[in-house]
Amino acid sequence: MKTLKLAAIAALALTATAASADGIKGNGRYGTAGCGLGSLVFGDQPGAVQIFAATTNGTFASQTFGITSGTSNCGPGLVAQGTKNFVEGNRVALAKDAARGQGDAIGAVAVINHCENLPAVAAALQRDFKVIFPSEQATDVQVTNALLQTLHSDPALGCKAG
Amino acid sequence: MLALALSLLLAQTPAPAPAQPPAEVDRLALLASVAPPRREALPRLLERARAMRLGEDPGWIKVGHYVPGPFGWKSEADGEDFFRAGKAGKRHPQAELEATLAALFEDTAPVADEMKDPACRFPARLRFLRDRLGIGEEVLPTRPCPRFEDFRRRVSPVGATVVFSSYYLNNPSSAFGHTLLRLDRGERRDSERAELLDYGVNYAAASDTSNPLLYAVKGLLGGFKGEFTHYAYYYKVREYADAEARDLWEYDLALTPPELTTLVAHLWELGATNFDYWYLDENCAYHVLTALEAAAPRLELVKGAGRYVVLPSDTIKALYGPPGLVREIHYRPSILRQFQARVAHLSPAALDAVEALQADPEAPLPGALGAERAAVLDAALDHIDLWNFKALVLGKDPALSRKRQRLLERRAELGIPSAPLVIEPPLAQAPHHGHGSFRLGAGGGASSTLGPLVILESRLALHDLLDPPDGYPPVAHIEFVPLRLRYAPRHQRVELDEGWAVKALALNDLSRFDQRFSWRFQLGAETLRDRGGNGALTFAAGFGGGFASLGIGGVADLMAGADVDVNAAPGIAGLRGSGWRLGVGPSALVRLRAGDRAALLAEAGWRWLPEASPRETWKLSLEGRLHLVHAPNGHDLSLALRARRAPGEDSAQAVVYAYF
Repeated sequence: MKTLKLAAIAALALTATAASADGIKGNGRYGTAGCGLGSLVFGDQPGAVQIFAATTNGTFASQTFGITSGTSNCGPGLVAQGTKNFVEGNRVALAKDAARGQGDAIGAVAVINHCENLPAVAAALQRDFKVIFPSEQATDVQVTNALLQTLHSDPALGCKAG
Repeated sequence: MLALALSLLLAQTPAPAPAQPPAEVDRLALLASVAPPRREALPRLLERARAMRLGEDPGWIKVGHYVPGPFGWKSEADGEDFFRAGKAGKRHPQAELEATLAALFEDTAPVADEMKDPACRFPARLRFLRDRLGIGEEVLPTRPCPRFEDFRRRVSPVGATVVFSSYYLNNPSSAFGHTLLRLDRGERRDSERAELLDYGVNYAAASDTSNPLLYAVKGLLGGFKGEFTHYAYYYKVREYADAEARDLWEYDLALTPPELTTLVAHLWELGATNFDYWYLDENCAYHVLTALEAAAPRLELVKGAGRYVVLPSDTIKALYGPPGLVREIHYRPSILRQFQARVAHLSPAALDAVEALQADPEAPLPGALGAERAAVLDAALDHIDLWNFKALVLGKDPALSRKRQRLLERRAELGIPSAPLVIEPPLAQAPHHGHGSFRLGAGGGASSTLGPLVILESRLALHDLLDPPDGYPPVAHIEFVPLRLRYAPRHQRVELDEGWAVKALALNDLSRFDQRFSWRFQLGAETLRDRGGNGALTFAAGFGGGFASLGIGGVADLMAGADVDVNAAPGIAGLRGSGWRLGVGPSALVRLRAGDRAALLAEAGWRWLPEASPRETWKLSLEGRLHLVHAPNGHDLSLALRARRAPGEDSAQAVVYAYF
């Protein structure tokens, strides 16, 4: 078995084209970008960068999240579920879904915020699009805050804090 | 009340965070109220474990990742702290079991770091021992493991899913696809559960190099540490489906609640150790299966997944070994499929508008109805994201981000929701339908120079343009170590006709919305069949690009382009008489397909050979395949008939292919 591997190596080694373009080395420390996924390992890098941190098949997976090493610097939080974490990781998709008034990024935001009326949430995000996403340069924090404002200021959406 | 809640929510902007999860601090206090284990019970339990030969129990074998070998058991885990019995633990499951049992009773000093407490470090082993030896609370009181509990609460699965991310030729490390495990927070897919918020568990090599050459060598030699990590599933959806335009196939598994509990406990154990990562067999796909087997020892998955090379698609097929394990299949279309679905029904005027919007986001929208205009903007947005997702996420192209923002604003202003995009899953392409990745071939033929021929072929992986089409993308040819030997009995001569380390071809259908090149690449050795090459076996490398038009009339695919080849061997008449020969020239191919039963491929190539003798060469080939047997486990059978012409030899061959 191992000899088979060896036999294949010399040639395959030559064929590995640049698998490496996306390597982003983390510093292994907690950053200041917020809680959870968005803050670990990348220091002050925006959370979205993590989409490309581990290039396919984990070529650079050293920046990913250990299971036992703790995943959140905000204590035992629901890492995947914070609205801000979600915005950081899904901003491009969420903006598109909001503009369309439809899509599973809206569904996820509604689940995180315990909203009961999904169609109303979708309509509200579309209606408030320019408030939530005022410009492509708005920060994730600004987007998150405006999004929460829309979700939690209209009781008809049935969203609950916490 | 609402205002208060809102202000609390808004207040969670970045605040200085504690460097360690606060859970760590509590543990000592919690421990103070836990009674110590009854140590006097230990000798009796050890005796019983020995009498039962519990170390050989499949549950223990699998949770310790032991595999049988020529010298007895050996664990595939490579982290030293995975073994309580030290070095002996890697090879002796019974010794490891006894050491673990003893540690649970004796290694109970109050320490703040729960990973130093065997009860917290090995929750799946603890479950197994409690269950098999009947160790109750009164003998071994449950110890507080706040971090593990935190992990368990966070993932809290009611189901598990194996996710297959389709073949991606643009990155060599994922050309064969990728699998990961998803821990599902709900059974239904509806308003109460968003799959995006599930957790994905990934096993991957922790690469410490950005040198692709070193990456390949270390990957093949087990030089990387493989580690289990976890993510919000949405990261994986963004990476695979959006950034790389790969379809995701999700196989929901029928696991019982206790098996899911063990799975989570075992992932915790794995998360704290590492394995040597072997690109070919002990890879991402393989360890998804071993983790599942550890959680549910009743499952035999690894045995069905191939012996020498374990590919992600093999592991998906292995899920169909145990009856009823796959509960349901779901398909998540890539951004490419979504875009294709959106433009499929647009009028010519609407298509023109989609194109115009790429350059000018203020371009006029056709149609009087809001829905028509929305459809145009929706397609235009998907088109931007399809080709620029990475630049958008990283903010690398401000002008483009600005354009997209305008399109989004125009779309939102229409004020009507898009209808959910319904895309029929291309079920024939689901990876579990594919032929086996390993292929053997045997046959015979005749050569104009050597007379009768015996042909033997082998291929480690994966798929060429003529192989049975089910389970694979129709546009890709990716082969890893295909070899063809020819024996000419009249001349008592054995030759390597072709042997490639890698051979790849990617066809991209040229259209107004997709202007990607088609390309090919190969590297290995081939015997030259022309006058300058003189039947010599040469080192061979080649690449080329061109344009393709696919699915013409539903049956034909065409590609035409230009290639550059290099051949080298002592004695061939190459550049200025050296052993190196350069070839440059056009190539073309035509493929015809008759459903999933037969296919025909014609290829032609002409090369100018600068400063060589003679100055040109060419090749023609025609190959037909009949797919005789398509078996559910991928053990297919096909017949190949091929004819070839080159300046130095004409030949005809018939080969039977068996897939494993």
